[in-house]
Amino acid sequence: MSKQTGKLKIKPKKLFGAALTYLIILAVCFIFLFPILWLVLASFSKTGSIYSFKGFFPTAYSFDSFVKLFTDTEMYNYPRWFGNTLFISLMSSLIGTALTILTAYCMSRFRFKSRKAMMKTTLVLGMFPSFMTMTAVYILMTQFNLINQQWGLIMIYSAGAPMGYLTQKGFFDTISVSIDEAARIDGASNFKIFVKITLPLAAPMIVYTLLSSFVWPWSDFILPKLLLKNKDLYTVAVGLMSLDNTEFSRFAAGSVFIAIPIIVFYFALSKFLINGLSAGAVKQ
Amino acid sequence: MANVSLKHIYKVYPNGAKAVNDFNMQIEDKEFIVFVGPSGCGKSTTLRMIAGLEEISAGELKIGDVVVNGMEPKDRDIAMVFQNYALYPHMTIYENIAFGLRMRKVPDVKRDKEGNPVPDKNGNEIPVMRKYNREELDRKVNEAAEILGITEYLKRKPKEMSGGQRQRVALGRAIVRQPKVMLLDEPLSNLDAKLRTQMRSEIVKLHNKLNTTFIYVTHDQVEAMTMGTRIVVMKDGYIQQIDTPKNLYMHPANKFVAGFIGTPQMNFFEGTLKKEGDIVRAEFAKSGAALRVPCALLQKVSPRYLGGDLPVCIGLRAEDISLEPEAVKNSGTTIKVRVSHLEELGTETLVYGDINLGYDGIGESDTKIIIKAAGFKDYKTGEIVEAALNFGAAHLFDCQTEESIMPQIPEYNYLDCSAENGTITFAGNKIKLPPAMECADGQGEMLIPVDAINFGGDIEAVAESCEDVNGKKLVLLNVNGNRLYALGDEKRTGSVKIGLDYKKLIVKTGGGQTDPMPLVNGLDGRFVSEKITENIDGKTKKVTRYYLEINGVKLEAPEAVYQKMFAATTGRKVYNSVYRYEWSPYDVALSDSGVEAQVVKVLDYGGEKFAQCSAGGATLYVKCEGAPQGTVHIAPDPSKVSVIERERNIKIV
Repeated sequence: MSKQTGKLKIKPKKLFGAALTYLIILAVCFIFLFPILWLVLASFSKTGSIYSFKGFFPTAYSFDSFVKLFTDTEMYNYPRWFGNTLFISLMSSLIGTALTILTAYCMSRFRFKSRKAMMKTTLVLGMFPSFMTMTAVYILMTQFNLINQQWGLIMIYSAGAPMGYLTQKGFFDTISVSIDEAARIDGASNFKIFVKITLPLAAPMIVYTLLSSFVWPWSDFILPKLLLKNKDLYTVAVGLMSLDNTEFSRFAAGSVFIAIPIIVFYFALSKFLINGLSAGAVKQ
Repeated sequence: MANVSLKHIYKVYPNGAKAVNDFNMQIEDKEFIVFVGPSGCGKSTTLRMIAGLEEISAGELKIGDVVVNGMEPKDRDIAMVFQNYALYPHMTIYENIAFGLRMRKVPDVKRDKEGNPVPDKNGNEIPVMRKYNREELDRKVNEAAEILGITEYLKRKPKEMSGGQRQRVALGRAIVRQPKVMLLDEPLSNLDAKLRTQMRSEIVKLHNKLNTTFIYVTHDQVEAMTMGTRIVVMKDGYIQQIDTPKNLYMHPANKFVAGFIGTPQMNFFEGTLKKEGDIVRAEFAKSGAALRVPCALLQKVSPRYLGGDLPVCIGLRAEDISLEPEAVKNSGTTIKVRVSHLEELGTETLVYGDINLGYDGIGESDTKIIIKAAGFKDYKTGEIVEAALNFGAAHLFDCQTEESIMPQIPEYNYLDCSAENGTITFAGNKIKLPPAMECADGQGEMLIPVDAINFGGDIEAVAESCEDVNGKKLVLLNVNGNRLYALGDEKRTGSVKIGLDYKKLIVKTGGGQTDPMPLVNGLDGRFVSEKITENIDGKTKKVTRYYLEINGVKLEAPEAVYQKMFAATTGRKVYNSVYRYEWSPYDVALSDSGVEAQVVKVLDYGGEKFAQCSAGGATLYVKCEGAPQGTVHIAPDPSKVSVIERERNIKIV
């Protein structure tokens, strides 16, 4: 494009365009990042109350809120909430992923009566927000005695996960059917094809599903608030909301800290998210 | 190592579209069969039905001696190579090849840790099924890899290999299990031209080495011609011709096969043939050219087309037309061609032209001609050249049906004859016709189907030559100067005695004609079931019986028949469909009970007698003795029935 030697000349018109683009990018970045920056700064604030802030930012900074979060557990047991959330999210993520993958595989590979009708119904049902069914869920859970039970929540999250199977089905559709057929001729049963051929090829998709079905229960507020009454069973979201008004920096610290597992989880699994795992299977 | 038998195989989709129509074929052990045809002709569907990846709508598929219609692919002992290789991308080449072995078990006897057999109480070995062990896997995979020359790549992943190597791996995966039948679905169409030629010969070598039945699907006629021991040409779900490459090239059964096999495509011209003594005058439409062809070259052409009124399609390959001055000078059959353009191919030049000299050379025309000439010859565009046609190599087709009018086995022999008082005179022989054949007195001709001539009568003939056609012998007979073709099982030479099967003859004399006796009786009916209680060994049991119902009469269906009817239909459809049941006149008998029918007349063919009956609007022929009259009952043999479903028009049994 540009010459190897000599000065790079940029036309003024081009320069203006580039400047405008970068300006917009910067503005958008600021809008996105500022609340996070502010929350991180607030978590390091020395005083607890938001009213002590000088203008927008805290007056003094310290690690106190983080320390208090894990030491002062009599009133507000943050480590416990954290454990609860982790358990519920991990379980929902595992069970939900299994169900989603199976649903998607069925819809992608098998042809049965009412398949299309089922696909459409599931899709439409998945569009409704989960809190729409709050009352019904509450009554159901009371009937089955699952109020104040972590497994109750796990059930709801896992059962809801396959509603969004469409992405996964799309991925399975890209794996050539002739690989399945080759395996069938080689003597593999449907189950063996799924386990030995399809699952290894779908590794990136499984990781994506694990991550996405982990985030929902991890950050959900409405369902735990509805179903968990015992303070010891609180998830982080419900717990943080129960904090006193004066504990704002602790709230901020707790909010910042819950981002950590997701980051760890993501980095641990990201190496599976590589593309091109199925390269060389079939000639496109 | 097995033969494959396909009988009346159909593939009908739920919307009624027929992908494969009445596919019949016997594939012998160790054959290399190629299915070829344009895309959408049903070749891949047929292969996938053999593999078990596609359900068979109707018909019977046998691998070896076992009917495999409902069998899972893995139990059919077949292997398949796919067009897009279909390798397992997450496995190494070794694992790819070993996968099929790992999925299977081998029969063995129970052994202890050292590998010694453990006998049971009576000292007999205990048979068990076990997985392949490491050494066996290693040995088999290496063997297969060695045959294909991929030993050094065994540790690689498919994505690290080139297209040709990947297809080799796919072949290795197929041969490692030593299947009974190898199925290859366009395995070379993803490779570049050079690699394709190389792999082509490698697959042929592989076939020779493995000694297994190969079924190969391709749309490339060059692949088909070079690889197959027999080729199946298909179009729109129908088999056009099954034959050896040589026979397909020399004796195409119809215009489609003629045009499909051979490059460049065969030239087709419309024209007429008129017999004038020993010469046939071949006129080319739109060109004005007329050739005088010796009659001997067109011996198998049925005389119907030699009157000069029926248009015929004359097919000539580019290599049977010559522009060499020497050939043109010596040839009696030349035609003028206006050259439109040239294609220089090095060893040869393809000369494109038109035999319609007034044609401008732009756009499609049905008089265009392609000629294979020697390499680097200078012909100018617009130049008019003289081309010599080798009419002995011409292929002639009916313009409407596109069927060959000079097939390898002609349908009929045409002879002039005269009839008088039930006696017919032809070719110097006088024969008393059986009473069943009533023909008017006068001059006319008779049509003798080639299979109506049997060896063992009292007509004197001389066998002039004997041709081997698909396992049968086509004998050219000379009966007092008249030439007749006859079909037999043995080679014949010298003087023979022949007889005629009067049932098949057609005699056209005095304005009328006799009809040959139909060889199938068709009756419409339904399929019904009935639950009855039966006493078996003192216990009462409810049993379901199945019947073919014709005109209210039930014939109990044998298991082989009703199983096929169930297999070809879904749900209760089998009871709601109308079927046509067909029998040969020999499988129907007159009896006390059965379908009621009226005897119209009794046909006496000398040795055999047939009663022509009418039953519910249908005409039936039944072999009989004596002279039955009035109302009779007909009992067909249900085990010899052919069943055709009327709605989809498919043959089920």
